[in-house]
Amino acid sequence: MLKKDLMMRNPLRAVSDENGYILPEGGLGAVVARAGVGKTALLVQLSLNSLLRGDNVLHISLGDPVRKVSLWYKEVFNNIGTHYKIDKIDDLWNELLPQRFIMTFNIDGFSVPRLDERLTELADQDIFHPQMILIDGLPFNDQLKRTDLHALKDLSEKFNSHIWFTVRSHRHEEPDSEGMPIQISEFSDLLDVAIKLEPEDNEIKLNVLKGSGSISTQALALDPATMLIKE
Amino acid sequence: MSKELNKIRNIGISAHIDSGKTTLTERILFYTNKIHAIHDVKGKDGIGAVMDSMELEKERGITIASAATFCKWNDHEINIIDTPGHVDFTIEVERSLRVLDGAILVLCSVGGVQSQSITVDQQMKRYNVPCIAFINKCDRSGANPERVIDQLREKLGHNAIAMQLPIGLEVEHEGVVDLASMKAIYFDGDNGEILRTEEIPAELVDKAEEKREELIEMASNFCDDLAEAFLEEQEVTAEMILEAMRKGVLARKVTPVYMGSAYKNKGVQPLMDAATQLLPDPSEVINIALDLDQDEDEIVLGSSAADPTVALAFKLEDGQYGQLTYIRVYQGTLTKGDTLINTRSGKKIKIGRLVQMHSNQMEDISEIQAGYIGALFGIDCASGDTFADPKLNYSMTSMFVPNPVISLAIIPKDNKSQINMSKALNRFSKEDPTFRTYVDDETNETIIEGMGELHLEVYVERMQREYGAEVATGQPRVAYRETITKRADFNYTHKKQTGGSGQYGRVAGYIEPFADGDFEFINKITGGSIPTQFISSCEKGFKAGLTKGALMEFPVTGIKVEINDGASHAVDSSEMAFQAAARGAFLEAYRKAKPVIHEPIMKVVIETPTEFQGTVMGTINQRRGTILGAQEEGPMCVIESQVPLAEMFGYSTILRSSTQGKAQFTMEFASYKQVPKSITEELQKKRDEESKKGAA
Repeated sequence: MLKKDLMMRNPLRAVSDENGYILPEGGLGAVVARAGVGKTALLVQLSLNSLLRGDNVLHISLGDPVRKVSLWYKEVFNNIGTHYKIDKIDDLWNELLPQRFIMTFNIDGFSVPRLDERLTELADQDIFHPQMILIDGLPFNDQLKRTDLHALKDLSEKFNSHIWFTVRSHRHEEPDSEGMPIQISEFSDLLDVAIKLEPEDNEIKLNVLKGSGSISTQALALDPATMLIKE
Repeated sequence: MSKELNKIRNIGISAHIDSGKTTLTERILFYTNKIHAIHDVKGKDGIGAVMDSMELEKERGITIASAATFCKWNDHEINIIDTPGHVDFTIEVERSLRVLDGAILVLCSVGGVQSQSITVDQQMKRYNVPCIAFINKCDRSGANPERVIDQLREKLGHNAIAMQLPIGLEVEHEGVVDLASMKAIYFDGDNGEILRTEEIPAELVDKAEEKREELIEMASNFCDDLAEAFLEEQEVTAEMILEAMRKGVLARKVTPVYMGSAYKNKGVQPLMDAATQLLPDPSEVINIALDLDQDEDEIVLGSSAADPTVALAFKLEDGQYGQLTYIRVYQGTLTKGDTLINTRSGKKIKIGRLVQMHSNQMEDISEIQAGYIGALFGIDCASGDTFADPKLNYSMTSMFVPNPVISLAIIPKDNKSQINMSKALNRFSKEDPTFRTYVDDETNETIIEGMGELHLEVYVERMQREYGAEVATGQPRVAYRETITKRADFNYTHKKQTGGSGQYGRVAGYIEPFADGDFEFINKITGGSIPTQFISSCEKGFKAGLTKGALMEFPVTGIKVEINDGASHAVDSSEMAFQAAARGAFLEAYRKAKPVIHEPIMKVVIETPTEFQGTVMGTINQRRGTILGAQEEGPMCVIESQVPLAEMFGYSTILRSSTQGKAQFTMEFASYKQVPKSITEELQKKRDEESKKGAA
């Protein structure tokens, strides 16, 4: 009951398809923003949206320890609890916990084949089957090749899931001719959705740079105090 | 004994199991001339390290009891508390941290910041203990002190900064470069006792200069003079750096990092210098007592030797000459012949023999001053008791004691063992507040309770070794609990008329789940429907219902009871009648309130080589565990999970055999959670079988 209630009130519902998904199976999505603007907060909310729907989420962080990632979830979830005045939030949290799996790597230790190996292992032993994969902190620099993104796309198809990334942009950089941040300019055709977070007035706007359907038309923003999505 | 407080250091050596802290302590005692030969921890020579005074510790190569020992270095007097490294004994660690003014955090240069280091670090934070770090085992293959410094920053959030550079690593580890004085230090002689100071090797000069700059930049945050000198490019001396760092350390704003290899006798003396230079003396630490006469108001204790005495018993040991009580004096002076009050029991105690301990040798002294650690003979007390001057009714801050999560029935093999067992149990429960014991009314068995399987195992072994008590043990039992999930009303009348005066009492109200504690009783009776003198009987009656839940006879917790109506009879109402009415009311409401079973969930952290990651996760999965995450760091992987305690019995054997002994785990209590339905049914079945057996 509680879960349903939260899902109904979830602002992300407005931008999802009838099954509640923003990305198609095997799809790739990017959240672009400068440091400290709210990439991880948005990612965690995308994750919670899936968890509430009953999906399994694999959250991969390159750099942050497990404890810090858990803290993000706890913080955002508690904020949601306070915002929607939910009692027994702890019970709900305990219910969702087994659906979430955090994996952290050192940036140099991360590679797509390695991730594939880990996921296959988890799936073979029937420990965890992700329907959504989040990769926070993948460096979009010269070293990242189109082949890497292709490999990730293959991986998400193999595991019947979809992948969201965070992409860090910089203040002084101009976007390319199509308005894409230069970090993803080379890959934009591989992405199904790209969202840019930009501070504007007293909120952080979610500007949809690429995407089809309702996501391109809805105006969403983050409340800078709680980092929660509001309509 | 010296009267200068600034020359005293009370330090602890805290670390993960196997980081080599006992070896380090052993070397410190050797260099300070307290012992005359060096023994290994897992002693090939059959003697073992001096600090591990308990037989069992020698055998397992682990340190359980925190022996306190005294030594001198650079005209400073140092008390060292050797702290246990296993999570099951954390109450010991916490208790020792309480009496420390500073600590050396020992880390392994290969293993880095491990799960237990994280626990110990949190405890240090809680007690506000300033610390310096020592990266040990730089001679091991795979040693990487820089990575460990990064981990100190990332994993523990320490503002860590290197004070030294290693000269060579692994087998080539020869010595260290001191960045404050910019000198290379080598350790000569059979046991590294001769320090040779030389110029920095040419290949390290550039790196040393770069690291010194970083160090000065960090240190200048704590001292304006240094910052100025640095900015104006004046010469910065080693003294200036150390003085600034000291300020940072005392404020817990920076963690200076030293390195070496205790086993290979490298880097220990500079670490001792650092302990005297950078860690606080007792007068620089604020100690707080609670004034029991003023509603436990906090009182800041003065560290003067002339003030009325306040001392804390932090550790008990059973020696040849009776109970040995380790104490720290916080205020005033403890002199032979003094009479003090044990503020917990209110009993007077007379100070007899006073000693200073060096592991299991001792030295008689006539007084212990504020700031010092010593030991008393012939005092009957429990660990954590405060001794104060009769004028004062102070208690040192009470320590947080968690509730036990596991229990075990023990059966003595013969009559002699029975007597010795009671002696041992009496001693252990005084020594360790997390270890409890009672006799089960129904089965007449002696039950011991504690914080984990290993915790209890160690006590069972100690019973045998130290007291000669042979006991057989039952299956470990998990401390399940019952609680309710919804509100339920009650309106119960207790009425009995069996000749003579009758019994009559009616109570009405409701029970509901209570998240903030075990039990709350609220009286909302108005108009005297239950006379005031019977209200406490009602509370007693409800409390009696909590000891055994109606579901499966586990203790009931997390319940709020409100009574708001009732009735009494002028003649037939009595305390007994209302207690019975409340018991009946509780039973009536309890069934309706959807009771459930809760079980202890443990936080289990496993460190394993990456190649066994999948296997290890499999073992967690099989145990109803939830994997919170997996963290990969080079060749190792740390898996964090939550697993029901009931599924963790014998896990160390399973983990060892499935990872070729290469993985290790720590376990601590996390929370109570509801038992899944299928497991509740299993428990129910088991219980029914047991009661059938009992009846037969």
